[in-house]
Amino acid sequence: MFATKRLSKELLKIKEHLPPGISIVKSDNLEEWLMDIKVLDENPLYLNETYRLKFTFSKKYPIEPPEVQFVTTPTPTSPTPASSDDNAITNPRRTIPIHPHIYSNGIICLDLLSSAGWSPVQTVESVCMSIQSMLTANSRNERPPGDKDFVSYNRRRPRDINFMYDDDNV
Amino acid sequence: MTSITLEDLLAMEANCDRDESVDLRSLDYVSSYDDHLMCPICHCPFISPVRLKCDHVFCQKCLVSAITTFAASRDDFTCPACRTPTGGVYLKLPRLLVNMCDEIRVRCPFRSEGCEEVAPRVFIQTHVDKYCGYRPMDCPLGSCGLKTRKKDLDPEGRCLHELHQCARCEGNIMEQDYKEHLDELCPNLQTTCPDCHTTILRRELKQHADTCPETIHSCAASKYGCPIQLKRADLATHEQTCPLISMGPYFDAQNARLDSLELTIRHLKQRNEIFEDGLANIRTTLAQSPTASAGPDDRATTSTPPRRNNNDPTSPNSQSQIDSSNQYTATTTNYLLSLHESLREEVGQLSHAITDLDARASMAIMSECLRIKEDMAHTNAAVSSIRMQVQWLLNPRLHQHQSSQRTGGVRTGASPGGHTPTAAAGPSTSTIPLRPRRLSDSGREGTKL
Repeated sequence: MFATKRLSKELLKIKEHLPPGISIVKSDNLEEWLMDIKVLDENPLYLNETYRLKFTFSKKYPIEPPEVQFVTTPTPTSPTPASSDDNAITNPRRTIPIHPHIYSNGIICLDLLSSAGWSPVQTVESVCMSIQSMLTANSRNERPPGDKDFVSYNRRRPRDINFMYDDDNV
Repeated sequence: MTSITLEDLLAMEANCDRDESVDLRSLDYVSSYDDHLMCPICHCPFISPVRLKCDHVFCQKCLVSAITTFAASRDDFTCPACRTPTGGVYLKLPRLLVNMCDEIRVRCPFRSEGCEEVAPRVFIQTHVDKYCGYRPMDCPLGSCGLKTRKKDLDPEGRCLHELHQCARCEGNIMEQDYKEHLDELCPNLQTTCPDCHTTILRRELKQHADTCPETIHSCAASKYGCPIQLKRADLATHEQTCPLISMGPYFDAQNARLDSLELTIRHLKQRNEIFEDGLANIRTTLAQSPTASAGPDDRATTSTPPRRNNNDPTSPNSQSQIDSSNQYTATTTNYLLSLHESLREEVGQLSHAITDLDARASMAIMSECLRIKEDMAHTNAAVSSIRMQVQWLLNPRLHQHQSSQRTGGVRTGASPGGHTPTAAAGPSTSTIPLRPRRLSDSGREGTKL
């Protein structure tokens, strides 16, 4: 009840206005939203790319943090057949941005998304902006250490993972 | 103004059992309110607000739920808005703020039941408790379990959920709805058609509206712009002459064609975009390595016969050639280019590895040299000390030999100089011949490094 009320208020506000580079893709229900974000400056790592974030809200949002991760959309295999063109409109290509704190399965290591760093004052909009600026500030073209192992062994959900937040420079 | 601790706040919240039936957060807010009056946690206008030491204001309930779910220990609780450590909570806030939140107008929560009341938020509780006639109340008959709107409650406390049969339509109607049913809703009620004023049954009104000759209808070609609205009887004569109706099928066909054309254009646009992307990609690959591509380029052109002229080595020309050449050539060139790139990379890696090895080898040699030099210095020192001991041992012999040769002992009192080591000079108690000594000294100096 608390969560749906608050989310519907946020949704109203989002539909009215969103900061540049952030757009809402899907909000059919009040449990899972898709947002698209763009990095606005000239950072060559993310130039002309749009990334898709999936928000999953629990019943206790905003007291509990939402689950936020990057998601991909299936890439159209060959560009020539006309049938895949319709698909390209509804499902444009989305990839996982490269960043030393973003695993290649889309899981983000960011303290404000953990229950320790979360504050109920945060909104979907503010989380998007934080992730946007996290990408903007990055210049390293690399994945987190141990990315391969983590991606192949991890079957947990993001909220059950204990991250160590050791980098204060981001 | 005094503050209370977080523990007190939690205890207070636990003790105060609210009997308020209205959830102020789920109300429909009619008047727009300033964002500053909004609790940052629940995004509603503040409901019994409290203030932290850092001057941030929250609803009391929101703050309590934030405290109870705070991850770290309760003493470390930080303000949700600014993360300042907070020790106390102020319960009193400026009346101005409270009033501004209280006078925001909201709808009655029983709007779905029919209540149209809009009141300042502070009064909505009273409205629901005392005045709202649409609030569902438990049936006075406890066993019934159904609810009745407050205004419909029977003054004598009877259950109004008993079913009655309507004399006209033979449907079963609850007592509370019976009067309304009789007066307005019964399908067998007699009504008059608003257009032709004939009396008909209520349930037939809909069918009648479709056939009533007096009802005003618009022309069938109204979607093409015919403005004429006539009674059904007159409409038939109009429709026979209406030019727009006769044009209708043609318009439809045109619309369908337009739609299909638009669809085709959209598809073509997309394909065009994809091709342009591909072209741009090829251009950038070529532009990135204009010099590097010169070599493999030429090879690619000579290996593919359909090229028109392959004896032009300048890079802009070769680029334009590639643009105009067929798909096969482009892919071959691309393949060769990428092959070339990867080989270059490998060569770079190898040269890097070689430099690395070189540096490591020279470092090893240098340290080995140093060690050997040190060893040599040690050996030198040992040799010279042995030499000195031999000298010392030989000295008395020489002395005897000299004194036996010379008849008189010629004593040279002066010692030969400051160079004499005390170890040699001390025990000898006699003059030492200059020559061998000097020799030994100079020899040592020579070997020392």
